[in-house]
Amino acid sequence: MPYSDTTFANPQTFQQAELQTDSGWTSVEKGIFRFVFLYFLIQILPLDPQFFRNLVSFGGGYTRYLFNLSHYAPRFVGTEDSFANWGIVALVALIGSVVWSQQDDRKTNYDALFYWLRVALRYRLALGVIAYGFIKLFPLQAPLPSISNLNTAYGDHTAWKLFSLSLGVVPSYESFLGQVELVGGLLLLHRKTATIGTLILLPFLGNVFFSNLAYEGGEYVYSGLLISFGLVLFAFDAIRLFRLVSLEVAAVPNRFHPIWREQWQQYSRLALKGAFIGLTVLLYGFTTYTTYRQGSIRFPKTPGLAGAAGIYNVSEFKLAGKTLPYSKTDPVRWQDVVFEKWNTISIKSNRAVDLVNDNTEQLSATDAGRDYEYAGSQGRHYYRYTVDPTGRLLTLKNANPHYPNETLQLTYTKAGDGRIILAGVDEKRDSVYAVLDKLDKKYLIDEAAKAGRRGSLKL
Amino acid sequence: MATPNITPERADLGLITPEELSASSVSKATSRKVPADSQPGSATAWTEGQKILFRIAFVFFISMSLPNSLDWYKELVSFDWLHLHYRDLYDIARFGSGLTLFGNKLFGSTLNGYAPWIITLIFATVVGLIWTTVVRNRQIINYNLLYYWLRVVVRYRAGIGIIGFGFTKLMPTQLPYPSLGVLNTNFGDLTAQKIYWLSIGIVPWYEVFTGVVEVLAGALLFFRAYDGGVHGYSSYFVLLSGFLLIYYLKDLYNLLIRERLTIPNYFVPVFSGWQQYARIGLKTTTIGLFLVLLFWLQYVNFRYDPYKQPAQKGLKELRGNYNVTQFKLNGAELPYSPLDSLRWQQATFENWTTLTFKVNKPVELDLSNGGGAPMRDINRTFELTGVAGGQRVFYYEADTVHHVLYLQDKNRGARNQENREFLGNNRDLGGTSEGAKARLRGERRKGDKQETDNWIPKEALAIIGPEDPKINPIARSTRRTKGIEAENRPTKRNRMILSYTAQNGGQRVILQGINEKKDSIYVVLDRIQRPYALSESTLKAGSY
Repeated sequence: MPYSDTTFANPQTFQQAELQTDSGWTSVEKGIFRFVFLYFLIQILPLDPQFFRNLVSFGGGYTRYLFNLSHYAPRFVGTEDSFANWGIVALVALIGSVVWSQQDDRKTNYDALFYWLRVALRYRLALGVIAYGFIKLFPLQAPLPSISNLNTAYGDHTAWKLFSLSLGVVPSYESFLGQVELVGGLLLLHRKTATIGTLILLPFLGNVFFSNLAYEGGEYVYSGLLISFGLVLFAFDAIRLFRLVSLEVAAVPNRFHPIWREQWQQYSRLALKGAFIGLTVLLYGFTTYTTYRQGSIRFPKTPGLAGAAGIYNVSEFKLAGKTLPYSKTDPVRWQDVVFEKWNTISIKSNRAVDLVNDNTEQLSATDAGRDYEYAGSQGRHYYRYTVDPTGRLLTLKNANPHYPNETLQLTYTKAGDGRIILAGVDEKRDSVYAVLDKLDKKYLIDEAAKAGRRGSLKL
Repeated sequence: MATPNITPERADLGLITPEELSASSVSKATSRKVPADSQPGSATAWTEGQKILFRIAFVFFISMSLPNSLDWYKELVSFDWLHLHYRDLYDIARFGSGLTLFGNKLFGSTLNGYAPWIITLIFATVVGLIWTTVVRNRQIINYNLLYYWLRVVVRYRAGIGIIGFGFTKLMPTQLPYPSLGVLNTNFGDLTAQKIYWLSIGIVPWYEVFTGVVEVLAGALLFFRAYDGGVHGYSSYFVLLSGFLLIYYLKDLYNLLIRERLTIPNYFVPVFSGWQQYARIGLKTTTIGLFLVLLFWLQYVNFRYDPYKQPAQKGLKELRGNYNVTQFKLNGAELPYSPLDSLRWQQATFENWTTLTFKVNKPVELDLSNGGGAPMRDINRTFELTGVAGGQRVFYYEADTVHHVLYLQDKNRGARNQENREFLGNNRDLGGTSEGAKARLRGERRKGDKQETDNWIPKEALAIIGPEDPKINPIARSTRRTKGIEAENRPTKRNRMILSYTAQNGGQRVILQGINEKKDSIYVVLDRIQRPYALSESTLKAGSY
């Protein structure tokens, strides 16, 4: 075994220190370690059906591919992450450690096993946080709110959506969070700085975990998993640090280092490390940057009608030939209509929305899977549209999977001066006619930035 | 085959190699604890360069840690300690520091508020250099001892400050859960600042959690053993914490990066007799004041007088969201249109004494953060600051015998900054001396102004009663009494006088009377059930 020898950090100082004793592990420590070792070994194995689906899902670019791939956790029960899976892992690890303890382990080097466990955890954790770090550094995770989201009442968003929207309006802060995550992740790639990396990441991930709980997010199990990895890594140095800083007594550094006897071992170590950095830092960083430059990964890619983006008042509305006056209570009368820059039209009316509550983070390759704009937001119905070759007939399909068969077919006429006339049949095959007038809507987020906090602003 | 890792446990047992021990020349007894008789001066030798740096740092951090205005000390002795308000102690905890003697600007710029830091640094450098020339070649100062005391001062300053901030979150009063009026406002009609505040306000239990973390972090700073473990969150506390952390940096680098045996050599003075009592007394007082008493005051405040939210109860039968079914202006009915600039579109009565309604007409906005801890409900403006979208927010006083609401516009637009005039005793909006002077002016003016301003009839005023005693007696404080008095000076506001009729327990409410433009209005409101996607708060401030 190449790593079975231990050397001191500084051979010049401690050259004669060749102690031939046992490695200082008590049998209780060994027992606990066997369980910890097996438990975390299973936790970092990709025992997740979703992982293998992601492995062969190449569409949508490398950033999407690696992000989804990095985001795995062993899953045995249910379709969603739950702590029950941790229980199963613990059970398996417990059985394994009992079996292991029956074996003759006089030749087992626990220092070396602990070392290699830490190596595996370091890279697993680094992968997890770097994958998130880059999509925050280049603010893709929480994009700027869509026009529809801006024109939805605060209380019509779920807590999780509000969390994301609130982060989305301050891209510089989102970038900063990404930087913190990246610095922590990169420090993990070097053994000596790994503990400093965990010192940065643990408060960060702790905050992510509690945010997920508080804002009803769906990533609390996963962030909890990453925290548990960080804790194991930190535990290695925790006692030393506590002794030095709090008890103010002498602290002994790590003494175990693997020995690479053969040239090829050195080379393969460097090759593996180089491949990891190349794929998850350099390439992933680059593709994430280009994705960011090209647009969003959370909104549809298909462009909308040129020059139509904006919010429109519904000045006139006829249903089955009958004119309906303005109303905030009528469930069928449209109140306002938004054309996004992409092929989404959202309509506000007093018709309840069966909410889509997608609060987990998987990036979709197709427009249909990009549900960010309507997930966790009620008050408006969202339609994706296609334009026929004449450019006049729009086919609208309700994007919300709770309304699978809702289709509207509307002709689109520009009447000048920001006026659009939509006419055709709605989802109930009734004839519908709507005159839309573009509103010169000013958003306080932009206006207040111009005016400053002490400034005067009329809006 | 394998040589051992040397664990701390083995060091405890004395199992470290002789080489290691000789290399560090300490016995196992000393490795367990820094000897109590560690003599000042013997611990570390200081180079001349370090001494000069230290002198500058000493002056800088002392200036940055002590209150910079005389008013702070005046307040300290003038408090009514038997009827404290939570903000009294909070203000003590969050005093301003750094030299402002020479103003707040450097080269005409406030440098994002950092100018006092730089001015202080320049000042400290000058003083430090003078100090260096004065003491040249004389060994009169024990730098280890001075460094120790400097760190004590900084630790306590950071500890008290962080606790002060932490407590405002521990009970979620600083960032309240959004009012109905805000929930009904579009996301795009809020400022980025408001969005940030609300995003924490909607998760009160998370706010409590961050408060606990902050208070714990602050509390640990009262104990020397923990001062390396605290990271700050605002730049001021980052500065102080960073300074505390420097002390450990060398050892951490040695232990983690160089992987060397590290034996700390931290200086601790020896206390005996009265010194020990003084130390314990000081610590106990600090903890008693800023943990125990502050917690109690904060709890009472959260429960009965949450300072960002109005404290008085709104009329029970009116509370809720309403659709504006009918609206008449001077007798003429206006049909609903989202473009109409006169007609109300929707209306809301909050749990407290606020009526909100939406009109499609631009209004001058108040872009402040709605803080400043005013005592009168009418000045508690968190529900409207940084909010656009045509929302009008009126404070009402109700004559419940004759069913009349006397309403005043809570929004004063950019004029809200004038608040600083009558919000005496308040550092959020500017210097205290300014506030005090303005208060004097206000009192002088009060006599002649009040007589002309009798828009609420005496009979109704008697029914409405004074504001101060309208909260639970346990939460009343001298600060509230004085503050309400000081804020009572009439100000120019939009006013409405509307009689109200609540039918079917408030399912339908009819308002009629005179609006802010002295036009007569008649409004029929029908209550609507408006389910929000946002979960309701399970931790609510105030008692309504």
